[in-house]
Amino acid sequence: MDIFSHILLGVQVVFQPMNLLFCFLGVLMGTLVGVLPGLGPTAAIALLLPNTFHVSPVTAIIMLAGIYYGAMYGGSTTSILVNIPGEAASVITCLDGYQMALKGRAGPALGIAAFGSFIAGTVSVIGLMVVAPPLAKFALAFGPPEYFSLMLMGIIILIYLASGSILKALMIFVFGLLLSTIGMDAISGTQRLTFGILELSDGVGLIPAIMGLFGVAEVIANVEEEMKRDLVTAKVKNLLPSLQDWKDSFWPIIRGSFLGFFIGILPGPAPVISAFSSYAIEKKLSRYPEKFGTGVIEGVAGPESANNAATGGAFIPLFTLGIPVNSVIAILLGAFMIHGIQPGPMIITKHPELFWGTVMSMYLGNAMLLVLNLPLIGLWVQVLKVPYPILFPLILLFCLIGVFSLNYSQVEIALMIGFGVFGYLARKFQFEMAPLVLAIVIGPMMENNLRLALVISQGSPMIFITHPISAVFIFITLALLISPLVPWIGKRRQKLQEKVEGEEV
Amino acid sequence: MEKTQSHYNRIAAIFFLAVAVFFAVYARSVEIGTWNEPGPGFLPFWAGITLAAMSVALLIGSYARKAWPARPSFFPKSDSWKRVLATFLSLIAYNLLLNPLGFTLSTFLFLAFLVKFIFPQTWTRTLLVSVLGSVIARLLFINFLETQLPKGFLGF
Repeated sequence: MDIFSHILLGVQVVFQPMNLLFCFLGVLMGTLVGVLPGLGPTAAIALLLPNTFHVSPVTAIIMLAGIYYGAMYGGSTTSILVNIPGEAASVITCLDGYQMALKGRAGPALGIAAFGSFIAGTVSVIGLMVVAPPLAKFALAFGPPEYFSLMLMGIIILIYLASGSILKALMIFVFGLLLSTIGMDAISGTQRLTFGILELSDGVGLIPAIMGLFGVAEVIANVEEEMKRDLVTAKVKNLLPSLQDWKDSFWPIIRGSFLGFFIGILPGPAPVISAFSSYAIEKKLSRYPEKFGTGVIEGVAGPESANNAATGGAFIPLFTLGIPVNSVIAILLGAFMIHGIQPGPMIITKHPELFWGTVMSMYLGNAMLLVLNLPLIGLWVQVLKVPYPILFPLILLFCLIGVFSLNYSQVEIALMIGFGVFGYLARKFQFEMAPLVLAIVIGPMMENNLRLALVISQGSPMIFITHPISAVFIFITLALLISPLVPWIGKRRQKLQEKVEGEEV
Repeated sequence: MEKTQSHYNRIAAIFFLAVAVFFAVYARSVEIGTWNEPGPGFLPFWAGITLAAMSVALLIGSYARKAWPARPSFFPKSDSWKRVLATFLSLIAYNLLLNPLGFTLSTFLFLAFLVKFIFPQTWTRTLLVSVLGSVIARLLFINFLETQLPKGFLGF
């Protein structure tokens, strides 16, 4: 099949009424959680996952993906109007977006954020179509040693980019690996640390873990003291950016799109990093860098495009290698497995409707978001006015229902509360949660690949170095681990950390 | 005395050291296997050893460096701990009451408690949110999505 018949297949999948509905629900929910501070896309996707069990896998993935990129749209709204980023990727948008709103230009700021996101979303969907299939073919040559080294490299890149202390992030990752060994061993069938509890023999559930770490822990941290918000109440008008605005924003949007897409492929908090990088680049290239921070439209257009493009890029490792690059993709991977789809390089060939359907739905979803966000902006402003004292009990309720409806198990609610306590404390102790979530997802895969690789090599760990592809991954891993010790690189990394510190990955 | 990051790191190091030792010891009881044929205890054992080594490194590091930045106090406000504790306890209570009381009633109590007592709202607001919240959640999840949530002894 050539690319056009693939696209046609994707279009056919998307335009089934059920899929259209779920795509719409996804982007709607995404915008909502993007608008609401204190409830990120990770928790929202985990929340809705149980409700997708009765639909087909492609419908489920379409909706869950919609939440992810929808949240990027919604996040910009709060950044611009309230100076509170709805989610981490929109932190940088506050700088110029809120200033524009203060100057009465909230309309164009919101408008260019939406259009920029749409253009970037389109670029990244095309990128996904072009890059993913050949990469998947390449990945077919991977065996257990390659997979193990690749996952190791992935997690180290994530830690390198996202964590303040590499040692502490590694510790939390290994802790996650240990937790992931709880349950029945896939190779020998031995029960490990299950204490006879049925729920634990399937392993520590990903959903209770995520709801606890990102949902409950986040809410608990927010009830420590009352949040204050200043809403720019002036009526939002003139959403369409002027011709001059378009001229100023055109190149930032294009640059942001490509930047975001390529950063998105890497593990880590790609939407956050790409937004920051885009802002830095635009400031450097600008003829008037001193005006950045006072409400210039480039400072909104670039980062907002970049964070949207990054969400598309993040799907590449998922569809080609079956490896998650951040917590959101980790849940999608969990969704694949729940629906009985074996993640890995065979996904595109074995389930073409899944890949092409999702890709085309992202295109349609971006168009829906444009409609949702521009004419309906007033609605989202109203949502923002719901006070937190009323909002947080509802968020907690959703977490409880979400976890319970998964298996109707009170053990899993208890697990969620436990992870909530752990996540709350771990934040206080400055440990990041992303390595833990990833470890729980890829832990079993890493363990199986490690053990298979050792069986193949008859016990020699040298197999990871004698296989050339694996050796490259190991080399990069070691280089990343050693490089922070080099003063010049270490300092630059530290600078990056100060920017992304404490963000949800 | 001002708490610095080193205090936090020290406590964390000891916690993870204990976890690591526990897993490493436990792994021996489920057969570690050999390098030729790794058993179910292989990864827990070696990961436990790795975590233990890293915890010790963190512990040593917390004593080695002198100038640590001071951390803000554990709770931002003096009464924060009450709200934090009450919220956790209400989650646990919900889990315990869910089966005997049923979904609708326990949800109502859960919402009412949190709205009224965490950041105290008026009674009108409390009742409005908790009644609407529990009824809508019931209709949405039990009647519409057909989620099998417990109905409790009252049967609703």
